[in-house]
Amino acid sequence: MSEYAKPEEFGLADLLCCAAAREVADNEIVFAGTGLPMVAIMLAQKTHAPNLKLIFEAGTLDGRPPELPTSVGDARCEMGASRSSGLSDAFSIAQRGLVDLGFLGGAEVDEYGNVNTTCIGDYLNPELRLTGSGGNPDINSFARRTVFIMVHEKRRFVPNVSYITSPGWRVKKWPGGEFVHRRELYGSAYRGGPSAVISTAGVFRFDDQSGRIYLDTCHPGQTPEEIRGMCQFDLDISRVKGETELPTREELHFIHNVLDPDGIFIPAVKKG
Amino acid sequence: MSTDKRITLQQAAEIVKNGSSLTFSGFTIWRRPFALVYELIRQQRRGLHLIEVQGGPQTEFLVGAGCVDIWESCWVGHELYGKYGANLSRKVGNKEIIVEDYSHAEMMFRFSAAAQGAAYAVTQTSLGTDIHNPEYDMLGRAGLRDGTHPHIAKHKYQFVEDPFFGAGAQVLLPPVKLDVAVLCVQQVGEEGTVRVNGQYYSDPESARAADITIAFAEEIVPEEYLRRNADQNTIPSFEVDYIIECPFGAHPTGMFGRYDVDGNFLKDFYGRTRTQEGFDDFAKEWIHGQDHMSYLEKLGWPRMLKLKANTALNYSPRESKGGK
Repeated sequence: MSEYAKPEEFGLADLLCCAAAREVADNEIVFAGTGLPMVAIMLAQKTHAPNLKLIFEAGTLDGRPPELPTSVGDARCEMGASRSSGLSDAFSIAQRGLVDLGFLGGAEVDEYGNVNTTCIGDYLNPELRLTGSGGNPDINSFARRTVFIMVHEKRRFVPNVSYITSPGWRVKKWPGGEFVHRRELYGSAYRGGPSAVISTAGVFRFDDQSGRIYLDTCHPGQTPEEIRGMCQFDLDISRVKGETELPTREELHFIHNVLDPDGIFIPAVKKG
Repeated sequence: MSTDKRITLQQAAEIVKNGSSLTFSGFTIWRRPFALVYELIRQQRRGLHLIEVQGGPQTEFLVGAGCVDIWESCWVGHELYGKYGANLSRKVGNKEIIVEDYSHAEMMFRFSAAAQGAAYAVTQTSLGTDIHNPEYDMLGRAGLRDGTHPHIAKHKYQFVEDPFFGAGAQVLLPPVKLDVAVLCVQQVGEEGTVRVNGQYYSDPESARAADITIAFAEEIVPEEYLRRNADQNTIPSFEVDYIIECPFGAHPTGMFGRYDVDGNFLKDFYGRTRTQEGFDDFAKEWIHGQDHMSYLEKLGWPRMLKLKANTALNYSPRESKGGK
């Protein structure tokens, strides 16, 4: 086991990347999006989960990219893959229930893990139209666990997201729109849901029964009370385990010397 | 009937009429038929109904140029070269475009249903989200779901209970109705057989679903060459109506085995086209008054050689991924 790095040896992106990598167990089938999650999964592949199976949404199955792809459609995804195909395969595999874990992002999250990537403000009169859903709701509907990686700002941690792009633990039953637990809606496709939010302030998890979010660990330099103050809802801080596990020197080596040497997704910490 | 399906870029653009429903090959910033997108902008096509499994720079160019009235899809952006679709965002804010949101898998399954000739797609994805909020049926709100518009279904979605094994609530989705699909691929034969190298994304479904399919290719190759290894081909000849040889036809998007994404170009576009004036200025510089060859000349050989893929790696090791 490699020793933990000292605080001056890593940045926040390193901490998030390592925390995300630790959500992956060996032999799992993992759905990867572009950016930091891709680095995190490849980090897990290089360290504790060498047998994980990586699926890229654009259609690369069991990929082992030797070099970091810039996006899931990238030619770099396909080197060493078991099969290269298309989106119909990727989403069929997800709907079939073969995906253990997905990494996702979001602009807003609420206390039941509903995520918005569609618009800021009223959908019919938006302050800002964002990218839209992409595969966020699909992976979140079908994977056993999903992990969200987000920038932590008070405006992003809200009681109700302006638009539920991606389903959390308590979702809307149409046509009326009343909130129900997701197991009531998903029938045979119910396999789980959001398992963690890794923000720039801490790591959050969800209560097994209620599906409500709670603070699990604080990143170095953050207190539970401070993090509660960074949420618009009343954050449960009664179950905090302590500080988020720090990156090890070995992990930092893989991130900066092997996976992302150009610092495209994980900027290097400036020395001196 | 001649078996040669060759047409020119201008003819290809003329197949797409004002008001046509249209889709493209590729995925986000990969294998988008940009030569045609530019030509549609030059020919000032209007009222397009763009239906995409997911959007990308091509959406942003057509929307920015005012070619698109309706966009049905799930995502638009430039990946790491631009985090959202600023032109679409601006037009949504100004209510100059109708956007109908589905999820990514929903869009894919709608294309699959169309390619199968099925009456609908069925799935359990995205249950409980605002994608299924009846208030957010934008084509319905615009009064376009009255059954008189050939590309627009009478409902955005419907729910049913699984009648067979009791699997629970299912979402029924309408198949996409496409007049034209335009593909951008590595190789096409004289009779239309397409060979895609690398991920084929949703190209086979697009080609089969559309009434007319046009294939732009880096090279037209002898049909018999492709037929020697039919197992490596992606789309059968009879699903492709017209073919065009158009090298670097996907630029600034990338093509597996041929050239990388031009990240600098996309970053420049994203940075400069937040406003309509900015878009118009960009279009004046790169689109209007150009044709495909003069566009490539303007890019210049050094830039194109830097993007050119290594034939063993299938990407360019020279192109910095950060677009720096």
